[in-house]
Amino acid sequence: MKMSEVVEFRDILLARKMESGIFQFMTRAWHPLRTFNMDKYYSPQELKGMVLDSVYLDSFIEAETARNGGCKVKLKKEVMNYLEEMCLDKKMHVIRWMGIAFLKISFMMKIGIFVNEPAVLKLRSSMKTNPILFLPTHRSYADFCLMTYLCYHYDIDLPAVAAGMDFYSMAVVGKAMRETGAFYIRRTLAGDHLYAATLKQYVRTLVSKYPSPIEFFLEGTRSRSNKSLPPKYGMLSMSLVPLFAREVSDITIVPVNLSYDRLMEHGLFAYEHVGVPKPKESTGGLLKSLYSLNDHYGNIYINIGTPLSVKSYLNNIPNTNEMLKPVDLQQLTPEQFKQVQSVANRVIILQQKCTVATISNLLALVLMSSLIENRLLSLDEVLSQVEWMITVLRTLGATVFENDVRGNVNRILVVHSKMVKLDKERRLRLLSGTLMDVSRDVQKKMKGHILKAETMATAIPIIQLQLYVNPILHYLVPPAIVLLIVLRRPITKDELSSDYHQIRKLLRHEFFHIEETEEKTLAESIDYCIQNNIIASVDGQLVPGSDERLQFLLKWSIWPALTTLSLAADITTEQVNCGHKQALKLVQERAERSGCHPYCLSLESIGNCLQGLVLGRALIKQKDTADTIYQLSPEVMEKCQHLINTVQPKFKVAFDVSNSVILDNTHVLCRL
Amino acid sequence: MSQNANNDNIRTGDKKNSSSATTKRSEINNNSDSTVIKVKSVIPRRRQDILKWYGWGYKDSMFQLDGDVAYFTGNRYLIAGKSLPHLQNWAYENFKVDLKKPPKIPEMPTSFPETRLPADIRQELEGIASVSVDGMDRLIRAHGQTLKDISDLRGNKFPRIPDAVIWPESHEQVEQIVKCASKHGFVIIPFGGGTSVSGAVTCPPKEQRPIVVLDTSDMNSILWLDKEQLLARVQAGIIGQDLEREMRARGFTVGHEPDSYEFSTLGGWVATRASGMKKNTYGNIEDLIVQTKVVTARGVLEKSCRVPRISCGPEFEHIVMGSEGCLGVVTEVTLKIRPLPPVVQYGSLVFPDWDSGVQFEREVARQRLQPSSIRLMDNEQFRFGQALKTESSWGGVFLDGLKRIYITRIKGFDPTKLCVVTLLMEGTAEDVAEREKKLNSIAAQFGGIPAGAENGERGYTLTFVIAYLRDVAMEYGIVAESFETSVPWDRTAALCSRVKRRIRDECAARGIQHYLISCRLTQTYDAGCCIYFYFAHNSEKFIDPVATYEEIEEAARDEIIASGGSISHHHGVGKLRKKWYTDTVSEPGRQLLLAAKRALDPDNIFALRNMALDEYDGDQEDIGIKSKL
Ligand SMILES: Cc1cc2nc3c(=O)[nH]c(=O)nc-3n(C[C@H](O)[C@H](O)[C@H](O)COP(=O)(O)OP(=O)(O)OC[C@H]3O[C@@H](n4cnc5c(N)ncnc54)[C@H](O)[C@@H]3O)c2cc1C
Repeated sequence: MKMSEVVEFRDILLARKMESGIFQFMTRAWHPLRTFNMDKYYSPQELKGMVLDSVYLDSFIEAETARNGGCKVKLKKEVMNYLEEMCLDKKMHVIRWMGIAFLKISFMMKIGIFVNEPAVLKLRSSMKTNPILFLPTHRSYADFCLMTYLCYHYDIDLPAVAAGMDFYSMAVVGKAMRETGAFYIRRTLAGDHLYAATLKQYVRTLVSKYPSPIEFFLEGTRSRSNKSLPPKYGMLSMSLVPLFAREVSDITIVPVNLSYDRLMEHGLFAYEHVGVPKPKESTGGLLKSLYSLNDHYGNIYINIGTPLSVKSYLNNIPNTNEMLKPVDLQQLTPEQFKQVQSVANRVIILQQKCTVATISNLLALVLMSSLIENRLLSLDEVLSQVEWMITVLRTLGATVFENDVRGNVNRILVVHSKMVKLDKERRLRLLSGTLMDVSRDVQKKMKGHILKAETMATAIPIIQLQLYVNPILHYLVPPAIVLLIVLRRPITKDELSSDYHQIRKLLRHEFFHIEETEEKTLAESIDYCIQNNIIASVDGQLVPGSDERLQFLLKWSIWPALTTLSLAADITTEQVNCGHKQALKLVQERAERSGCHPYCLSLESIGNCLQGLVLGRALIKQKDTADTIYQLSPEVMEKCQHLINTVQPKFKVAFDVSNSVILDNTHVLCRL
Repeated sequence: MSQNANNDNIRTGDKKNSSSATTKRSEINNNSDSTVIKVKSVIPRRRQDILKWYGWGYKDSMFQLDGDVAYFTGNRYLIAGKSLPHLQNWAYENFKVDLKKPPKIPEMPTSFPETRLPADIRQELEGIASVSVDGMDRLIRAHGQTLKDISDLRGNKFPRIPDAVIWPESHEQVEQIVKCASKHGFVIIPFGGGTSVSGAVTCPPKEQRPIVVLDTSDMNSILWLDKEQLLARVQAGIIGQDLEREMRARGFTVGHEPDSYEFSTLGGWVATRASGMKKNTYGNIEDLIVQTKVVTARGVLEKSCRVPRISCGPEFEHIVMGSEGCLGVVTEVTLKIRPLPPVVQYGSLVFPDWDSGVQFEREVARQRLQPSSIRLMDNEQFRFGQALKTESSWGGVFLDGLKRIYITRIKGFDPTKLCVVTLLMEGTAEDVAEREKKLNSIAAQFGGIPAGAENGERGYTLTFVIAYLRDVAMEYGIVAESFETSVPWDRTAALCSRVKRRIRDECAARGIQHYLISCRLTQTYDAGCCIYFYFAHNSEKFIDPVATYEEIEEAARDEIIASGGSISHHHGVGKLRKKWYTDTVSEPGRQLLLAAKRALDPDNIFALRNMALDEYDGDQEDIGIKSKL
């Protein structure tokens, strides 16, 4: 792993605060750059017409009526309705008004939007030749506002953004979003084939005929854990069809990483992790949350990754029989679908590669470390630990945009004042939550085990803190696994390799990675560990090294995940046959009872571990009508459990208010 | 978490392509998001439920001559259910048939040869698609529609019938069946509509290996339809009337209408190089096809691009076209389609004699003014047409009332010589009107006069019932058959008269007194035309009427070829005309055919033995030579 280059980020809101007013900037003459040139440009209305009259939908309707009867005219009308619901629009005055609102709110939230400007300028200069897909990470609803604003700022045509139906149904906002380039997609297409066909045709038409960037979230949904989710392949498949159908010469994918000092949603997410359901989006809710926006939200870093030419990435797209069909009817072959999957996986890794470690992440690492050590840190210690963390992360190849540690730590303490605090002795503390009495109604909606109020009071803030540790974990986990295996007993590289791969596999869903590059990752991790004295190589054997500080960091970084995995393995072994929901509850219950790291209460994490055990064949997944059933495969499971238990770090930590780092705040009683 | 999981559904339809090829029922049809139009065919898998097992066409449709007045049964055709008061007379005059005798209708056979298909192979095939070893299923797929076929069928005299029938639904299944055949060494006969009139589809009598008929009728989906490009990709087993009905329902037409199109299939058309009535507007099969996909014993033969024309060495699609089932199975075809014409109009012209009719046709072709169809009937056919008059509704029939007087008295046409041209015109109203005007003026140059639309229409509606005549004829001891040829313009008139003359001579030599020889000119080209001969004779006194008939047809074909005509314009070679094959294509040509066979089907899986392939026994010759060395 090489040291990352130092990247220059620029706050694009800074100029708005000083030079020209918001209004002037948002009403300037705007001549955005298109993603490619065409002889004739189509309006959003014309695009709709093209989709409606496409050979594909015509054939689809013909076939559908031949299959099930029904009236062609009616089906066409249905397609039209779908298109009305789906289609994007573009109204310049709405764009300008939305921009003004965006800036106002940004100032209210006191955010800075830091953009890797050289990368944007480079992207701009290479545009004009083929369609571009913007594929940002998805951590917050703010993501697409930010991307759209970024495009406005840099005079790039506003992206066509795939948005969920939640927004569609929001009064005013839904329409305004459409008019600034959002198109609406339903999440579940199952059952409604005509809708699916319409969407498919609409997306491919947008990609090939609408010269604006197309933007969607490869992860499909906001990652509640603030780290990469495995990609969903649907939208990408639809978007890449024009390339496989040879309608366009290439498609450029721009991976984008958005890192937040403070996620607006972090409280909600933390609750969701333990099973308290998220409320439905509504304009009312949005307005309500506007009040809470009058606060400090810190900085947001938008890092534009190196664009990926899909054509060169795939190297060779052989002709298939699909070419004999009318171009509109061309579908992906199974091989091509595999290629799409590989592109998607690759893009997730590229997104990870442009993670920006923010001061929040650094502080969270330091604080989590102090929590697990149960040792209070003074502000000065915190600062020096942050400095150390920066060096560690940079050595691991991470981008850390940080030039004023003291200033930024002070700044971030304000931003996160509800989560962390310097006590009277100016030592860094994590604030516990209040003791909440969860109402019956909410209990009924809860997905997991009903946790005690005391547990929740500390678990929620620790999970919240973990959300800021999570984006960094993909740097730490591979060397951590290497270390844990070596700590067990001296071992050769070859022996280590199989255990390493097995653990990685079991945690594949928790820590997304691509299998194909694992050999390389392992080799690099071993090198890293040796070079940094985490382990040492003696006579062809790997043995523990001397840097205990680094060792500690690595050990605790993977500890919660391994604990969850081990709990999941225990529970499913005891149960032999266990439904998914039941497994979640039981693991949560045991994690609570045995005082594990609160992140072990995360339903998402438990689910990931169960899937990992399925991947490792320790469990066999059976689809029941209502629920997934895990069936134990005893011999394999025994081996897995043995492996997990032998590498599992043994920490004894109190995660309740008795932990010296936690500042007890539980006295106020609240109702949820 | 659950929020993530439901999003997976956005992966619409990507999985379906990966469906394993071994699934028995092709998924194509069930896939609710595909663009495949599964066509419901008029003809069921048990053909015998709706088709006459012992002859032509629908079970419920036939001529009946016994009783007071002749009539045509059923309700499928325009003349159906109407009495035909002139037909009995005509039959007596021409053939001296005794209509008092009851018609000879054969009994359905009840015992059949044992199937030779081993049980394990049958099981393997059943894993791919539906299979039947039922005797009737096999018998009705043992043959085409030659006189000999029908005679053998009625007499239950086939020396060999297939051992099993299999109904694949998709290209993939055909691939598996052909692989299975290669592995186990059984014979496959591709079977479309069974309308072959060359013996092409007839079971080869001497074949020792098990014979499996691959019935393509379940491969009848329209895989896609592109109204923009005016193209359709269709599975090769679709029958003509289904294809045409589906297209018309959507405002289009393929326009390929061989007289057999109610029952013949797209694959059959390709395999025989078929020609349709309206070829002037839509083209013959070779003009209609953009692409064909063929499963051979050596893999799938298909061009890699869908282009209007290509210069890339010899066109292999033309090796498949006319291959008569001997090189592989056509599974899918990309066809041109056309929007339905706004106006369809019939017309007719009367000419004083055959020669002036031919000259007219030649002139129309020279000026390339052919409407969709233009046919010239000789006097015998014209008179036969009169015999098929129904009492009702056909008020404007030739030689009725005033018109008769006008034509015979005023214009002075000899009723025993005059000939009729029928026209079928399609296009916009202006196009059609303009075309008609031009045709009338050319006709005038050759002494022809317009005779009205109704007469034209009548000619074309009779097209599809003519084929039913042979069955009724046979039932009264008359054998009847047609044969066709193509000939250059300069030799047309001579060919017609020489062939008629030759048949008269042959009849005289055999003492045949009651017979009919007639011809018509059915297609025109820049360089020549297609002539159809009809020959029927009373065969009561012959022990083997079919053999007699075949001798005469052979003599007629010799005469055709001596007169500069061809082996066939569209029926093909099959087994019936193999005698003239090598002379027609030259010895190197025959070698080319054998080379193609060796390249695509070295083990002779498709052992139909058509054209010059009757002696082909696969690479066994080579093995024989090797073992001698
Ligand atoms: C009353 C009547 C009128 C006719 N009129 C015309 C006419 O106007 N124009 C004309 O061209 N012909 C005409 N024919 C001849 C006949 O209809 C054509 O040759 C027709 O193309 C045969 O099609 P089929 O589907 O019936 O093929 P079949 O008779 O089943 O088979 C014919 C040959 O094609 C092969 N074959 C069939 N399907 C396939 C396939 N999918 N792949 C590979 N090989 C295959 C068979 O093995 C066989 O060798 C007429 C026949 C009759 C009886």
